[in-house]
Amino acid sequence: VEERFDPFEVEILKDKLAATADEMGVVLARTSMSPIVYEVLDFACGLTDSTARVIAQTNGLTLFTGTFGPQVEGLIADYGLDGMRPGDVFATNVPYRGGTHTCDVCLVKPIFAGGRVIAFAVSVTHWIDIGGAVPGSIPPDATDIYQEGLRLPGVRIYDAGSRVDSIFALIAANIRLPRTGLGDLNAGTAAVAIGERRLLEACERYGLDLVLASFERVLEHGERTARAALTRIPNGLYRAEGVIDGDGVSDAQLPIEVAVTVGDDWLHADFTGCAPQAAGPVNCSTGALLSACKTVVRAITAPAARSNDGFFAPFSLTIPPGTVFSAEPPAPTGWYYEGAAFANDLFWKALAPVCPDRLGAGSYTSLCCSYVVGRDPEADELFVLAEPNVGGWGGSALGDGESALIATTDGDTYNFPAEVVEARFPVLVERYELNVAAQGGAGKHRGGFGVVREYRLHGGEDVSGYGSIGGSDRRPWGLAGGSEGTTNYLEYVRDGTVERRGRVAHVSLEEGQVVRSVTGTGGGFGDPRERDPERVRDDVRDGYVTIECAREIYAVALDPETLEVDAAGTAGLRSG
Amino acid sequence: MSLRLATDIGGTFSDLVAFDEVTGALTIGKASTTPDDLPQGVLDAVGAAGVSPADVAELVHGTTVVINALTERSGARTALVTTQGFRDVLEIARGNRPDMYNLVSRKPSPFVPRRHRFEVRERVDRHGVVLRPLELDDLEAVVSACRRDGIEAIAVCLLHSYARPAHEEAVRDALLVALPDVPVTISSGITREWREYERSSTAVLNAYVQPAVERYLDALERRLHDEGLRGPVRIVQSNGGTTALRSARATPIRLVESGPAAGVIGAARLGERLGEPNVLYLDIGGTTAKCSLIRDGEPATTTEYRIEWRPDYAGHPIMVPVVDIVEIGAGGGSIAWVDEGGSVRVGPRSAGAEPGPACYGRGGESPTVTDAKLAAGVLDPEYFLGGRLRLHPQLAWDALRRLGDGLGLAPAELANGIIRLVNANMISALKLVSVRRGHDPRDFVLVAAGGGGAMHAAALGAELQVKRVVVPPHSGVFSAWGMGLAEARADAARTCVLEASASTAPELDAIFGELEREVATGLVAEGAHTGSARYERSADMRYRGQEHAVRVPIALGAVSVGAVEADFHALHRQKYTFDLEGDPVEIVTCHVSVFGGRAPMPSPPSPTGTATPAAKGCRRVDFDADGIHEATVFDRGDLPIGFQAPGPVVVEEETTTALVHPGQTLEVDEAGNLAVWLV
Repeated sequence: VEERFDPFEVEILKDKLAATADEMGVVLARTSMSPIVYEVLDFACGLTDSTARVIAQTNGLTLFTGTFGPQVEGLIADYGLDGMRPGDVFATNVPYRGGTHTCDVCLVKPIFAGGRVIAFAVSVTHWIDIGGAVPGSIPPDATDIYQEGLRLPGVRIYDAGSRVDSIFALIAANIRLPRTGLGDLNAGTAAVAIGERRLLEACERYGLDLVLASFERVLEHGERTARAALTRIPNGLYRAEGVIDGDGVSDAQLPIEVAVTVGDDWLHADFTGCAPQAAGPVNCSTGALLSACKTVVRAITAPAARSNDGFFAPFSLTIPPGTVFSAEPPAPTGWYYEGAAFANDLFWKALAPVCPDRLGAGSYTSLCCSYVVGRDPEADELFVLAEPNVGGWGGSALGDGESALIATTDGDTYNFPAEVVEARFPVLVERYELNVAAQGGAGKHRGGFGVVREYRLHGGEDVSGYGSIGGSDRRPWGLAGGSEGTTNYLEYVRDGTVERRGRVAHVSLEEGQVVRSVTGTGGGFGDPRERDPERVRDDVRDGYVTIECAREIYAVALDPETLEVDAAGTAGLRSG
Repeated sequence: MSLRLATDIGGTFSDLVAFDEVTGALTIGKASTTPDDLPQGVLDAVGAAGVSPADVAELVHGTTVVINALTERSGARTALVTTQGFRDVLEIARGNRPDMYNLVSRKPSPFVPRRHRFEVRERVDRHGVVLRPLELDDLEAVVSACRRDGIEAIAVCLLHSYARPAHEEAVRDALLVALPDVPVTISSGITREWREYERSSTAVLNAYVQPAVERYLDALERRLHDEGLRGPVRIVQSNGGTTALRSARATPIRLVESGPAAGVIGAARLGERLGEPNVLYLDIGGTTAKCSLIRDGEPATTTEYRIEWRPDYAGHPIMVPVVDIVEIGAGGGSIAWVDEGGSVRVGPRSAGAEPGPACYGRGGESPTVTDAKLAAGVLDPEYFLGGRLRLHPQLAWDALRRLGDGLGLAPAELANGIIRLVNANMISALKLVSVRRGHDPRDFVLVAAGGGGAMHAAALGAELQVKRVVVPPHSGVFSAWGMGLAEARADAARTCVLEASASTAPELDAIFGELEREVATGLVAEGAHTGSARYERSADMRYRGQEHAVRVPIALGAVSVGAVEADFHALHRQKYTFDLEGDPVEIVTCHVSVFGGRAPMPSPPSPTGTATPAAKGCRRVDFDADGIHEATVFDRGDLPIGFQAPGPVVVEEETTTALVHPGQTLEVDEAGNLAVWLV
């Protein structure tokens, strides 16, 4: 079929498809009303073909890498291609049908050419609130999905171009910040409209047949790239085990495990043996599990390439239903990104020993999200300060781990500037610095550091806090002889008493009280005694490593006055 | 004393353009850049043009000293002083991973190591209210550490200093007393916009380059003075305007994109002469292509610029107005290759000057865009760089064949494909600055400069349906030409979040008034005349709840908030397809720019050629989709004003070759530009 088309025109069209997804992303991020979209970039946009295969995708973060396909499939199953009309837009946020959690509202617009559906434009954004038991809609101790707000099971919100006002009214009546939520609905609708417009322009310019051929080429190209990369990974069966620290309802650790088989040019992950779905909301559904796994598949095959489903053709997955990674109704999934983060870490851990140039030691893993909610008397509004925290990444064969970098499940996600936070919320940011005090993560290439971020409550009313911090007990794993990293936690400080927590449901907070988020150091890579003594000296000068650690862990002796390396002393320590 | 000189130091050549303000004559000089002694290159170019420095009324200079010091990491040993609790802001940065699937990602590494980042106790809130007084005693430890470690420059960035700079000023004054030889940069002295990481980075990078820039500008001024120059020297800033040496020394970070910005100003002034206020500007060199958009005569500027930024790398932010330029890795030297998935790609890797394209015969093995152009007949192997470099067509064909064989493509097919792919990359970049920002290319003329601009422009212009393509004379020294026409400019901005309502009009009037006095003072201090000064106001606005803002131009005089709001709704619609009329609107940051008055445009060259110039010859050119044709070849120097010819035509000059496709028409306009009419 392809022979009929000019190969260069197809290449040019491929780029246009990617550019269309980018443009949708720009529209969405720049017009959203939620800080969690415009700063955290908790959104994704893209195009699928008429059979729900992703052709182009722009992600703000990696958690949506695998969700579009199953979501569009669900809509096709519900309505049928024949039941859709030009100008329709559908909304879906059901976790068990390819989604993530109820806050992530996915909009899908069928695109028609030649009288039939040729593609779907898709956008998904995290709404700051979608109703349910608590502001922000993700109670850390939810025990079913009804506490997590309004469900939109593939609802038609635009009918042949006309807004379905009754649905908008229903949504507005069920969420706490309707202006923001409907603002994000507008932004998402604008994004899918841009996607439709650009694709139709391409059809006009290049012809429908060429556009459809370019879809196939995009997918073939992704698949070929991924298979070629997989041939470089040694065949074998690789296993990893781990735990998730508590589910929000109980602190009991949930055991998880994976067996990854690498073939000549394919990859299979078997998650059989993981804990059953938990009472609390750290569960994820298979859509989110797919995202977690596909992120690693991209990392070890083609991290710089543009996203499409072709890359994942060589990947398959086994997961029994009803586990912590394959939750079924009515299991809560509000903190699904905790489950997904640990699935990602597990898959990564299994493959790290055989992908030394693409995967390092373990990272702080959890997004370490903390919520502070209350009423802002100045604006006379409810406020929801929701924020993931950056943390330490593991060392790798290539070098030290990065400090203060956002977790794998996020992506091009920006932290909130203190000056912007203070302008928007009744808090003062009193400290934002590297968590060097934790140490840990020693290695020839050491782990990077997490952060300490402190809020002092400053003028809010009826303020409370909650959060769901993973890795409060489990530590990031070392690789090739490197040592473990350190833990993440939340601290509520009142009158000098410090309460340290991991997953915490609703704590009332008082004016002047401090909320402290602390993230850990990543795992180390290689034997610390092989670290270049000059780098250990620099680390001591910069306050990253104490002089005692230099001596005891890195076996490097330094002059306590000049902080120069004592070569003879170091040789003595290292020969021992 | 009637000459305006403009000098542009590039990586290879130092260019000079001299405008005679009396006769209108224009002289060009070119000399090799002398990396170890940059002022010498400027003097050499002056010499090459045969200009006497004593005749120079004003010299305008564009420099790469700032960007070089940054990219080579050759600046000063710098320290940073911040608010207690925020020592690591520079290293934490924004924590983002633009290369999100790379799980061994690297962040930009800070220009100041942790051991040289110091804290002072103080705190100001967002309204500028002091919550904790400044403890100047904390500086004692800072001073002794700076002495011990030989610190050469200090940056200061305190929280909310955009709202109240007094603490930063006090820290600066104390440091200058204790360390009189160490220059101090305070963040609020450069920008009064919020976001502490971006402001810290701006202050640090300014401090980092300051000693090197100061040495350079001192040497340049002295040497020019020794040669007899008496007129003032002005420096081109990244905003496209010029500034006096004194302020260039104080905030050298404003010069970061000095050279490229001047090209955009040149395009704006060219548009003005053509009566075309809307210009798309494209400059194609050996390794990159740069695109910018000029609307209503003004180049778009941004304060969200980052050095070393790539789509997969965060880079280092600099919060000063920079002409908005999109740069892509596509130029004459861009190499064609096949990726792991079997697709042909062009660039961003470039063969550079060494070994250069395969056809240079210097050992290059991979086909480049220049090889494809040679194979397609666009380039004359005997007249490349005016015949100074002989090209080898056989080597180009061999390189194309080597790559094409594996793909089942004939060399000529591959050559066409390479040209089409590189054109598509440039189209994407041009759309990024136009369509993606809500502008319709059909309202614009495309001005093409650089060695490669004229070769690609006719095809790009046709695809984008621009009004016409314009290739200026001397397009090889277009940046220097633009510098000569740049005017004095100063900018100021203030973050101050206000609800847009009639009641905030007095507050806005006050802010704009204050900003205007501030920039006017700056301009007067530089010796510019304020009589002819022109002011521009704008504001970053958004719907309450949004974070990102839209820059809205605001009329001078008493602010009508209603009119401003209406403009905001319209711009939001234009950029993002929708507005939210009725929703509350906020003004976030106010901006003011002042322009010192435009230099007169040199008068057009007098016609040289005969009315019916003889063609140089004919050659077979592959116009891709437009077919293979015998094209008439002209030497640009032979073409008189008013000359017209139907395509297919090739116009050659020393530094570039212009292509006119079949169906298009070439015209030499009154100013000596080549105009290509597309339909």
